Amino acid sequence: MTRVLTTCIYCGCGCGLYLVSDGERLIGAYPSKNHPVSRGALCVKGWNSYEFSNDLNRLTTPLIKKSGKFVPAGWDEALGLITDKFSGFRDRYGPDSLAFLSSAKTTNEENFLMMKLARAVFKTNNVDHCARLCHASTVVGLAATFGSGAMTNSINEFEDAEVIFITGSDTTAQHPLIGSRIVNAVKDRGAKLIVIDPRAIELAKYAVIHARQRNGTDVAWINGLINVIISEDLLDKKFIEERTEGFASLKDLVKEYTPEYVEKVTSIPKEKLIEIARIYAKARKAMIVYSMGITQHTTGVDNVKSLANLAMLTGHVGFPCAGINPLRGQNNVQGSCDVGALPNLYSGYQTVTDEAIRKKFETGWGAPDLPGRPGLTVTEIMSAVGDGKIKGLYIMGENPVISDPDSNHVRDCLSKAGFLVAQDIFLTDTAEYADVVLPSASFAEKDGTFTNTERRVERIRKVIEPPGEAKADWQILCEVAKRMGYGKMNYEHPSEIMDEIASLTPIYAGIHYNRLDPYGIQWPCPNNEHPGTPVLHKEKFTKGKGTFAPIAYKPPAEPTDAEYNFVLSTGRVYWHWHTRTMTNRTSTLERESPEPYVEMNLEDAKELGIRDNQIVKVSSRRGTISLKTRLGHKVAKGSLFIPFHFREAAANVLTICAVDPIAKIPEYKVCAAKIEKI
Amino acid sequence: MKTRAIKKEDISNLLKEASRAWNVYVPQKNLGGDTWFAELDKAQGNISLDDVDTVVSPKDIFFPQLEPMFEFSGGQIKAVAESSPKLLFGVRPCDLKGILFSDDFYKRNFEDKYYLSRIQDVFIVAKGCLKPPRRTCFCASAKTGPFAESGYDLQLVETEGAYLTESGSRKGEDFVKKYGQFFKDYPADAAGVVERIKKEAAESLELKVDFQKALDLMSKDNFIPQENYERIGERCIYCGACLYTCPTCTCFNVFDNSKGNTGVRMRNWDACVFEGYTRETSGHNPRKEKWQRTSRRYEHKLKYDYKLTGMSGCVGCGRCLSSCPVDIGISKFIQEITESKKIM
Repeated sequence: MTRVLTTCIYCGCGCGLYLVSDGERLIGAYPSKNHPVSRGALCVKGWNSYEFSNDLNRLTTPLIKKSGKFVPAGWDEALGLITDKFSGFRDRYGPDSLAFLSSAKTTNEENFLMMKLARAVFKTNNVDHCARLCHASTVVGLAATFGSGAMTNSINEFEDAEVIFITGSDTTAQHPLIGSRIVNAVKDRGAKLIVIDPRAIELAKYAVIHARQRNGTDVAWINGLINVIISEDLLDKKFIEERTEGFASLKDLVKEYTPEYVEKVTSIPKEKLIEIARIYAKARKAMIVYSMGITQHTTGVDNVKSLANLAMLTGHVGFPCAGINPLRGQNNVQGSCDVGALPNLYSGYQTVTDEAIRKKFETGWGAPDLPGRPGLTVTEIMSAVGDGKIKGLYIMGENPVISDPDSNHVRDCLSKAGFLVAQDIFLTDTAEYADVVLPSASFAEKDGTFTNTERRVERIRKVIEPPGEAKADWQILCEVAKRMGYGKMNYEHPSEIMDEIASLTPIYAGIHYNRLDPYGIQWPCPNNEHPGTPVLHKEKFTKGKGTFAPIAYKPPAEPTDAEYNFVLSTGRVYWHWHTRTMTNRTSTLERESPEPYVEMNLEDAKELGIRDNQIVKVSSRRGTISLKTRLGHKVAKGSLFIPFHFREAAANVLTICAVDPIAKIPEYKVCAAKIEKI
Repeated sequence: MKTRAIKKEDISNLLKEASRAWNVYVPQKNLGGDTWFAELDKAQGNISLDDVDTVVSPKDIFFPQLEPMFEFSGGQIKAVAESSPKLLFGVRPCDLKGILFSDDFYKRNFEDKYYLSRIQDVFIVAKGCLKPPRRTCFCASAKTGPFAESGYDLQLVETEGAYLTESGSRKGEDFVKKYGQFFKDYPADAAGVVERIKKEAAESLELKVDFQKALDLMSKDNFIPQENYERIGERCIYCGACLYTCPTCTCFNVFDNSKGNTGVRMRNWDACVFEGYTRETSGHNPRKEKWQRTSRRYEHKLKYDYKLTGMSGCVGCGRCLSSCPVDIGISKFIQEITESKKIM
């Protein structure tokens, strides 16, 4: 038996765990006792994270589609075909006829190489990944207000907070080791919990106040809180004066957001709103927690900026147990953004439009003429593939057929792709559309780093060999670059890639493998002696002064009407991960949550004569799925909720492709739907 | 016979010698202080006998989290079983009790050939705890530690610079003779020294619960109010850790890892707090509610096991609490029912 310390593959908590191997397969996983996040504990997904890698249905050899069927091929043939096709498109239609989807499931090093491949080798900025679908609003919104789009605090600080303010995060289900700290803070240490969420999430039962807003009315109630705090003189004048700018215009804007008006828009009773404002403003150590319920809206950036306004107004930022904490969903979605798998940014959030920055990368990479115009985002790339503007699409470790909004549109676009490459550990629904499929290594089969939600860069370590001819994603990307005649993507080990990241990325400048044992370092880490940064914006904001952003409320993209009379929102369950390609191959998890369902309010069900567990049809303007009902009071009257994990009844067949104008994040949390008996 | 002792610096040579006859498992420590039982060749240089707090008990050596049962291909079946001789060095008394409990369980109604094959040739060197390795330890209350009374082949009693040995079996005595070059007669009054050390060790446990009172209360039907189980069941996040880490939990699930008609039948650790654990094929679940699954766990450990075997299913190791993300633990449950208070 071999035991190797590594980092969990599931959520952004980034728990330290040991994988156990018998040499042939993984035979166990259990928590590190002294790791600062796991501290001897894991959630059920972490405890069972050893199982999917062993699955005999892993991809073990490259596949090439011939006459509509996948045929096993050698690496030479598969890679040769890819580089022929991609260089052909580039020469004929220009570099922007290519696009690359990177992956928040893969390592920092692999994401860095994917963007290097796109930019330095193929000369396009068309590189993006699923952060677009989860926290693009955060990256933009917090960068504009604070200067840094990341969690301001660290996970253990939740234990000592006086007030925890959660909105749009089902924390015990999605970030169980953070949710647990919140439960303990409330139950054992008397912290006050405020939950503002349309659904009665698990944590709502511990809340002093649970307010249920109408989906998509977040700017209105946040402005309402700001209005109350100003009118009751509960604001932190010193903080506003010394550390921020632009307060006057915010003050002006929120005047009309009286509790009465906010109640009309959001359905949050005015007394509740006032009480929430008082509890939050009067506390000293108050932490805001948010996640997809805030970001996945056409007003996602507005929502994030509004929360930043609220925190600055009350001086709740810049010290331990006070700040804004976007919980990043994927194990490495923080890191994949950090290292620049984004169409407008290089690693460390350095913009591609800045000539000096471009020069630095051109020199560092020995690659002249890096493109200076921002590339397309995930949602734009998909449409451009459908329009024929993008001919060649390279997807690493993502499954947009299940994860992106409006699945039928995604399928239609992918079927029109000139040439599609899918690199993954299983033959996903997306890979079915590919011309070439490349088999990659799982997190247990390679070295690298993930960056968790508290900005902790931590190691993953190889425990076992990949199956068959599968290779680590970084090795595959290097092979592609080499075949394209690019000489500066040769590495013996991922540590050399991290050294390169450090040399080009100020916030990662002090991150090297020899410093990451045993439990990692939190960025910013500007030099080799720097111990890392648990709390951001301490003396001043990353951007200098924090900037208030006055924002007016705008309604969601698709209102309900007489036909589509329910508001549908989508999300996840505790037992599964995203498109379920790993968790449906994990016996315990699949047994706990074996089938899709729609949550519906009991009163609505009574009116429509629908029973619990009955198979119904749910439709939107985009499509229809059939699945079982789960009745109760978890969702409010007039609302539906569907987990998006299940290909058997894919929630994203229903969701809308409307996006935030700046962050381009889709509005997964609001669309109009109807529900019918079959 | 005089008490024999081994110097601390001789331990690694003894183990090297012993590894000729056995697969030796020994506690290993990493940079961050995490400890686990590792095979000797993998632990070299990082062996730690002090302050050993392994997250899971060494039960996983005999009952791995995941193990193959048989391979199948085109209608042919090939059994898989592991049966190497094993020497476990430095087992804590609570974990030893867990192994003894599992031994009994796996033979009780039917013989579990996988477990029995792995454990058929085993030599256990226990090591008493001078200080509780976990702040959640309550072995003195459960009467399973901090030193074992029986069940070991050898038990080590730590003194400055050396370990005194206690033989618990004929195999243990033979071992001391066979590796006589490492064991010397202890010059002083061994019995007195050992008695003092054991007494101080027991006193060092700060967490004390009225274990016998809990067993007595649990033996009454429906004594525990449903409200207690509901409160715990609501707080629980259903990670399974309290069962996975428990030295006496023996439940497993069976599934196939297959492609076409080729594959492996596997079993892996299961946990009775999961909804799917008791769900029947029809969809009906006799323990659908969270409180029912919660009560099952406590009643199994503190009521049915005790009734059936005279041994409690709880060995006082405190792992259920130390591995619980939301600070639920059997010691707290015992405090709640014996002291009539709500602490979870």
